[in-house]
Amino acid sequence: MGIQKDRIKFNVGGRIFETTATTLGNAGRDSFFGALFDDNWNLLRANNNQEFFIDRNPDCFAILLDLLRTSDLHIPSNVPERLLYREAAFYGLSDHVRSAKWGPFDGNRLSLCRSVTGRAPGDGTAIRAGPDGGCAVAHGSMVHVFDWMLEEHPPINLDYQRVNDIGWVNTDGIVISACERLGTADGGMGLFTSSTGELRYKFNVVHDNQVKSYAAGALSFSPDYKIFSSCKGRSNEYGVGVWDQVTGKQIDFFYESPGWSLGDADKLQWLDRRNCLLVATLFPRKDNCYISMLDFREKRMVWSWSDIEAPVTVDEKRVRDAIAMEESNSICVVNEYEDLGFIDLRMSGGSVRWSSRSRLNKGKMPDESCYPKLALHEGQLFSSMNDCISVFCGPDCVLTSRLRRSHGGSICDFSIGGDRLFALLSEENVFDIWETPPPPII
Amino acid sequence: MSNQKKRNFQIEAFKHRVVVDPKYADKTWKILEHAIDEIYNHNASGLSFEELYRNAYNMVLHKFGERLYTGLVTTMTAHLKEISNSIEAAQGDMFLEELNRKWNDHNKALQMIRDILMYMDRTYIPSNQKTPVHELGLNLWRDNIIHFIKIQMRLLNTLLELVKKERTGEVINRGLMRNIIKMLMDLGSSVYQEDFEKPFLEVSAEFYRGESQKFIECCDCGEYLKKAERRLNEEIERVTHYLDAKSEAKITNVVEKEMIANHMLRLVHMENSGLVNMLLDDKYEDLGRMYNLFRRVPNGLSTIRDVMTSHLRETGKQLVTDPERLKDPVEFVQRLLDEKDKDDSIISLAFNNDKTFQNALNSSFEYFINLNARSPEFISLFVDDKLRKGLKDVSEEDVEIILDKVMMLFRYLQEKDVFEKYYKQHLAKRLLSGKTVSDDAERSLIVKLKTECGYQFTSKLEGMFTDMRTSQDTMQGFYAKYPELVDGPTLVVQVLTTGSWPTQPSATCNLPAEMSALCEKFRSYYLGTHTGRRLSWQTNMGTADIKATFGKGQKHELNVSTYQMCVLMLFNNADRLSYKEIEQATEIPASDLKRCLQSMACVKGKNVLRKEPMSKDIGEDDAFFVNDKFTSKFYKVKIGTVVAQKESEPEKQETRQRVEEDRKPQIEAAIVRIMKSRRVLDHNNIITEVTKQLQSRFLANPTEIKKRIESLIERDFLERDANDRKLYRYLA
Repeated sequence: MGIQKDRIKFNVGGRIFETTATTLGNAGRDSFFGALFDDNWNLLRANNNQEFFIDRNPDCFAILLDLLRTSDLHIPSNVPERLLYREAAFYGLSDHVRSAKWGPFDGNRLSLCRSVTGRAPGDGTAIRAGPDGGCAVAHGSMVHVFDWMLEEHPPINLDYQRVNDIGWVNTDGIVISACERLGTADGGMGLFTSSTGELRYKFNVVHDNQVKSYAAGALSFSPDYKIFSSCKGRSNEYGVGVWDQVTGKQIDFFYESPGWSLGDADKLQWLDRRNCLLVATLFPRKDNCYISMLDFREKRMVWSWSDIEAPVTVDEKRVRDAIAMEESNSICVVNEYEDLGFIDLRMSGGSVRWSSRSRLNKGKMPDESCYPKLALHEGQLFSSMNDCISVFCGPDCVLTSRLRRSHGGSICDFSIGGDRLFALLSEENVFDIWETPPPPII
Repeated sequence: MSNQKKRNFQIEAFKHRVVVDPKYADKTWKILEHAIDEIYNHNASGLSFEELYRNAYNMVLHKFGERLYTGLVTTMTAHLKEISNSIEAAQGDMFLEELNRKWNDHNKALQMIRDILMYMDRTYIPSNQKTPVHELGLNLWRDNIIHFIKIQMRLLNTLLELVKKERTGEVINRGLMRNIIKMLMDLGSSVYQEDFEKPFLEVSAEFYRGESQKFIECCDCGEYLKKAERRLNEEIERVTHYLDAKSEAKITNVVEKEMIANHMLRLVHMENSGLVNMLLDDKYEDLGRMYNLFRRVPNGLSTIRDVMTSHLRETGKQLVTDPERLKDPVEFVQRLLDEKDKDDSIISLAFNNDKTFQNALNSSFEYFINLNARSPEFISLFVDDKLRKGLKDVSEEDVEIILDKVMMLFRYLQEKDVFEKYYKQHLAKRLLSGKTVSDDAERSLIVKLKTECGYQFTSKLEGMFTDMRTSQDTMQGFYAKYPELVDGPTLVVQVLTTGSWPTQPSATCNLPAEMSALCEKFRSYYLGTHTGRRLSWQTNMGTADIKATFGKGQKHELNVSTYQMCVLMLFNNADRLSYKEIEQATEIPASDLKRCLQSMACVKGKNVLRKEPMSKDIGEDDAFFVNDKFTSKFYKVKIGTVVAQKESEPEKQETRQRVEEDRKPQIEAAIVRIMKSRRVLDHNNIITEVTKQLQSRFLANPTEIKKRIESLIERDFLERDANDRKLYRYLA
């Protein structure tokens, strides 16, 4: 054995660090250190054995070097996170820090990591997780945007109209759907750059070759860059609009048929395997619940369900949220008592099979209750009720975990994305961030 | 701090702005610009990466991102302008070399610049919707070099010229070519398509249009196809060497269109070398090539298929209607089989066992086999021939192969019931004369017929086999009961079920006394064991083995028919018998008697009788003697009957008639079946349905169906609708 040949010496802000090419290679090509390698991943060194000077903070460099060595992030208490994030951004290591900060999402291992207090008046409307750990929160007509470091970016609004839904099209794009202001072209839908809050473009709706103003409702996105939204126009032009998110142009419109509801929909969900859009209009937006699947290639409703004809039962089970589970060919629904029910997607006109789970929450309903919401993530089903979120696993949807915080009121919306769960609480204008801790050392 | 003393805070205006170097941005940019210059001048080794990276970082941090970005664009554009001039100045072959070298330099420079400006690339560019540095570098290269007016056309022409050179056999620098094309692809698929692929395809189309015209004038079809195939392979190879893989389909499309699709008909019909000649001469290789090439173009295969079909029909028609060929049925069928083998091997060797071709072949055979009404008879005769003697020294597998082939021909027949008729006759003869070679082969064929046409088709044939077997048992029982009979003449009786066997005009003759006693004994034995049956003798179908001693004491065992035996037995008591006397004594029908006398008196080597006058034919006034001088090398002598193996004209008519007669109940049954389920149906639909139901057995004649319908109306199975005369109703 001889002397290691791949050693390299850094002088960072006066402190000497020594490391190896292998460790630096972990930083990847798109980083400060990646530029120190040639095409074959051999270290470039201009003057041999001389130290490489970097004019940066040595404490943070030590943490980041440790991260490259071990893929494990440890931030000493004397180093503020913000400082570390800034240094990581300099070296192009932000992604490394982010992926080491919390582990891959698992509903049964979540722990509350932070609560962020907003300054918005009134109740929150919606919260949406971004693809890389950030989130957007809608309060009335304003949308506040936070990145994965939970740094707040300039807030977004669409002509200060009431926001109905928000959604991330990618790490840097947010779509807002809002009410229209009568007599103007305000409201509708717009795409914003999340980091700067700039409006990139507004989405128009054209009926009979005329641009009309409209109110946009629920949003959904497909992997081939389409945006779907439920729309209400003033001359009864109700239905679901489709836009291209790259060009911003309207490409399709599915008009609501009489006796059915699309334009009022609470929830849209793109089903990639079936190449269909799930549209759900639920009580109490309408007196009845309508769930349908639209195939835009054939311009046809391929599946539908409604409770119009269903007998009203004693405890009046009304569907309050619905989510399609493509793996099990069913739609999961929830009522105001957080009973789960299932509808078979393979045949039209089936009925809801309510699960016989005992109602744990009965009898202690808070004064101001929120409607339950559903979410699906990698086979785990989440349902929010009052101040807690239940996690269900397995093909039979067994209750496995409950997430609850002691104060803050009931949960009016929650969202999963970027390996985080965000829950928006109605009373104290606060949202919680739940994360899975990094995997254990061994 | 005490609360009593409240201080009044006064907020003052912020007096001291932080003063920074006002030329900070300019200075930093100068450093970076200098670095970019140095990189393009190959002087990068003297630069400090950390310093440059830090400077770029600081510029973005201090909101000079825009400045940095526009500066980059300006500087890089200036360098590319310089580069374009030096590329343009390169002469002749150096042009591509220079372009390639500069492209490599630019790529290296771009990598370094991107490393330095990485922070801008990560933060400023995405949030301001700008083009990332690497992509920007490619776009600038495209706009300043590739789309530079003095370079664009020259580049295209150089590339096309090189391709042309290679097509005419010259060796070109493929590595350089690959690098340049790769550059175009790196600049985006639209650059590659617009600046190279599209013109390349146009020029190629022109090239091949000319070349194919030249080839088709001077080459025969096989040779032309060889050349076309080589060109196609060359183009595919070219794509793998230096073009985008996506171009393969496009360029092959061009070659296919220009060299094949445009000349398809001319090639197929080319005189002396076209498709028909290839088929005739078994040119598998050429045919395979034609198939593979034509498969690539629209309507290519259907063109081949149509020509092949009409050729097959034509040759097949000649084969089945040529009167010369009709003389020997075995030969006739053998020719059909040979033709089928030949066509099969063409399809499997050259046409990739294409299903549509197989279907075309089948329909052709179906077409021409049925052109000749005697095909069913001939096929049955062929089987007869094979099962009589043809399969003697053939292994079991080979037998199966031959039978399978016959079945294949059988499938083509429309009048399967005619075949059945003949087959039954021939089988009966084989069984009764004991001439069948292999029981297994017979049974195997029956099984095949059964799978093809169902139980009903073969039940009678199977009945014949059963009869043969039970007859054996019956004879054993008979002799076991009367052991004393062993010493006398041996009688072998085959009891045939009426109906299973082809009906024969029952013409009994007078048996010799010895035999008739024995027969009577058997009759009483048989009727004693089986009640309610009738036994009648079919003397016209039997055979006999008799021992004879001739004049010089030579002893022979003669194998003769029952009729012949009756005649010969008469000579035990007489030396000379006239025709009339024989006819009177035996009561054999005249035509049969003549035939059997002819075979005993007129066939050389088998003439156990002598006749006066000596002549070939039997006259009413002839006289017969035992031929004392009869000699034979063999102890056993088989005396055949002179039979017309093929059916004579009246017999044929008779068979035909019998077939027609048999069809009547089948057609009627079909009509009734259909009407029972449909209740009401119009005439045309009945005809179609009946034809469809019966087509597995025969092709029903519409006029015959009409007659049957009328007959059924007469018998009150159906009635005509009162209003619409074309409608029939079923009467339950």
